[in-house]
Order: sequence, then structure tokens, then C-alpha cells
Amino acid sequence: MITLPSTEEISAFLNESNFQKAGIVGVPPLAVIRELNQRRIEILDLDAMLVLEDMESTVSLLPRVYCAILRTVVLNAMHLDLDAIFIDTGPGKCDGAMHVATVLEHSMDIPIIRTVNSDREPFGHPFCRTQMGLTDKFLTITERVKSPSLPENPPPPCKPTAGFWGVPPRDFSILSLFPDTTHVYGWTRCMENKTPANDALEAHNNMDIPTVFFSQSFCAKTALARLLARQHPHALYLDIDVHTGSSAKAKIQAFLELSGVQK
Amino acid sequence: MILADFGTSYTKFIDLTAPEPVPYLRATKELDRDLKVDLATGHNGKRFSSHYVNELIALARGGESLIDDDNYLLLDCGSRDIKYIRYRDGKLQDMGWNAECGASMGFTIELLENYYNLDFNTLPIPDKTFSVTCGVLGISSIFDEITSGMDESAAVASFVKGIAINAFRFAGSPEKMYLSGGLCDNRLFVESLPCEVVPLGRFVLLAGLQKIGKLPATD
Repeated sequence: MITLPSTEEISAFLNESNFQKAGIVGVPPLAVIRELNQRRIEILDLDAMLVLEDMESTVSLLPRVYCAILRTVVLNAMHLDLDAIFIDTGPGKCDGAMHVATVLEHSMDIPIIRTVNSDREPFGHPFCRTQMGLTDKFLTITERVKSPSLPENPPPPCKPTAGFWGVPPRDFSILSLFPDTTHVYGWTRCMENKTPANDALEAHNNMDIPTVFFSQSFCAKTALARLLARQHPHALYLDIDVHTGSSAKAKIQAFLELSGVQK
Repeated sequence: MILADFGTSYTKFIDLTAPEPVPYLRATKELDRDLKVDLATGHNGKRFSSHYVNELIALARGGESLIDDDNYLLLDCGSRDIKYIRYRDGKLQDMGWNAECGASMGFTIELLENYYNLDFNTLPIPDKTFSVTCGVLGISSIFDEITSGMDESAAVASFVKGIAINAFRFAGSPEKMYLSGGLCDNRLFVESLPCEVVPLGRFVLLAGLQKIGKLPATD
């Protein structure tokens, strides 16, 4: 059984190292993010597309039929010059991340530090509820994972006309199809709230607005997305792999237009 | 004003400037590459018009024009994909578009009919159903059965029934469906669907374009 380091042990470990650049996977505990910031260690979010390398270069480490986000993590890890990786392997991320941590431990020459984020203190989720282009909204929320502090000027909420439930997609191109008044739900909201394992917040959605329930193909969250979509009176369930095909984009466009949502 | 639904195998047109507009078909591979129409849908449509309508929207609007009901399931089976729209109380409830693992079903059916020189309107509905989720992958089931001694026409019929069952399940296993697309003319396919079927023909998306362009629907 793998023993997870405590925050104190991580702090002591960082004292003895001279890390300049660390990758994070998922949302590591706030104490870890705070430590990295205090030590001015550059944080790179490995869940995001950071390199333009071919995804096929990961097939020596991961199966092709695997979550595109975790394949992206491995792709980034292979091609970025990192000093360490902090990977959340608890219920706030997924079992897949736990196994990817093992894969990385066996294939990388840098420390792979496992964490389990069980933070419960809510930071709020103003960007999920404000009027802003959905792509910018997701860029802001994912960027804020690296910050240990509240936003200085949280934006005001707007009246929602559509909903997007799910994780930040690997391919952001679908986000441009939604109106600025789209509210964000699901794990992305947990992410902004800095409580990634808050399953009640993750399941929350708004029954009064047309909502797209999105999940990455091969992610365990597809089960929850499908359940919530079945329960919602006006929903579109979508799972998308590495890239968004034209039929998936057309489905979103048609769903919003036929639901009377103005772009 | 010319409206067109540019499908993979066939393109459907209607010329509204004609004295008595009647929809007609052309093989897509025979179209003039410089052709331009006023309003288009279909997966090839963007090349032929500056006014393009998403296929699901055209299908939904076509259903609204042609179906006198507030609660229905409309399934469109094309050459390369299958898609459906479900309305409840006159509003969109659900939709689906399968262009990947449901791919090439219509195309493969036509290919097999020509290759084996069959007439799907005379073949009996088979008892046996192949488990088919993709036209291309399903062909191997036919070859397996033929090499095991099954009659060619019976093997192809089982394949077509498998495709019908797969499309039915994709659409949520409804008790009744309205059917759009060229397979409306394929008796074997229509009668293999295990529910009440109302065939609407090939021109449902054209009716949708007429509604979107606020033009009177044509029979």
C-alpha cells in the first residue's frame, strides 16, 4: 500500500530541494499550492494542453483508449522539463490519476508526489456564475488552480440562460458555441471552489435552464453525467475524446438553438 | 430559390422558382463542383452555399412541418450517420447524432444490395439478427455466416435487420417512430424495426429548410 506524504513531510521535502518548476495534476490540497507559491516555484497545470507534441507519443506509457486528460498529463510530463509532479489521487480526481501516478513513477526520473485533497473550506465559484465568454471563464478557472488566494475582485453573478456541467474539456473548442450567460456546474465548479472532492456540489445543477452534461470519454464521471442528464428535463449528454468532431459541435449548436437559447 | 440537402450518397433539391416545385434527387458524386444553392444542409452542404443550416436543426424543423403531433420521435437514417430528435409537448426533449460507431450503415446497405444483386423489397424479414453497431464492421458477420453455409441473401437480410435494431436502440427504443431518409423505401429495413414506423421519405430536411426560410412547405 502506498503511503501518502503529509503536508509537513511535503514541506520538509521542499526545504531540502531546489525545485524551480513543478507540474500539478488535478487540484492538489491548498496547503501544497500555498507551499509552492511561497517558495516561488513555477506551477504548470499538466491537465491542460501545454505542448504541441503528438498524443501518439504517449502510447508507450498509456493505452490509446484512456481518458484524454490523463493522456495529456503524460504527454506534458514527457515533454516538459519539470523538477517534480504533485498529482492528486484522491476522490477529488480519479482512480485513473492514481494509476497514472504509478506509470509516471516508473518512467520519470523526477519525484512524483501523491496527494489526496480533502479540503472542505469553500472558496466560492464566482467565475462559474458570471457573464463572460465560456472559453475565458474556463481559462480563468483552470488558471486559478495555481493560486492559493481568493480573486481580488470577484465578478458579479448573471442570470443564466444555459448550463455547462462537467470537467474542463480537453478540447476547449466546444466552449465557443455557448452564450456568455452560461453557468458552469459539475467538477469545474468544485475546482473553482477549491473543494474537488465535494460530490454534492459536483452533482448540483439547475433544472430550469437547458444544460449540456459533458464528460471526457473513458472518464468514470460519464456515469454521473448520464444520470444527471436523464434526470434533467432539458439536457444534452455528450462525451468527447481527444478532439471534438463536427457532429458533437452540431449537436450542441442544435440543442441550444432548438431550446431557444440566444448566443 | 434552390434549397438542397447535400447527403453523402444523394443530394436532395427543390427549386422554389419552378411553376410546381417538386423535390428531386441527384447522386452526390455527379454534382458540378461549382454548383451553388441558396440554402443548404447536409454534411457536404457548406461547400455549395454561403447559407448553411445544421443538419439536426433542419431535421427538427422538418419534423415540426410534417408531423401533426406534440410528442414524437423522428429518426433520420442516412448513408453515413443516424440522428434523431425527440419532442415532448411540442418542445425538444432529446437528440442524438451518431456519425462514428453508427457510421456508414445506409451506405453499406446499398453497397450490399448492388454487390449481391438483391431486392430488399422482396426479401423476407429474417428470424436471425446480427449484432451490428457499424456498417463496415458488420460486413465481417456476413462473410462469417456465408462461409459457414448460410445463404447470401439470408445473411445480408440478417445484417440489415441488425442495422435496423441498432438504429432503433440508438433512438431510445420508442413504441412509434417517424422515419426520414432513403431507407424509408427499403421494406426490409422498415419492417425490421420493432415498433410502429411512419415513413416520411427522403425530403424531411428540405421541408426543414423551407420552414427555416419561412417558405411554404411542398408535398
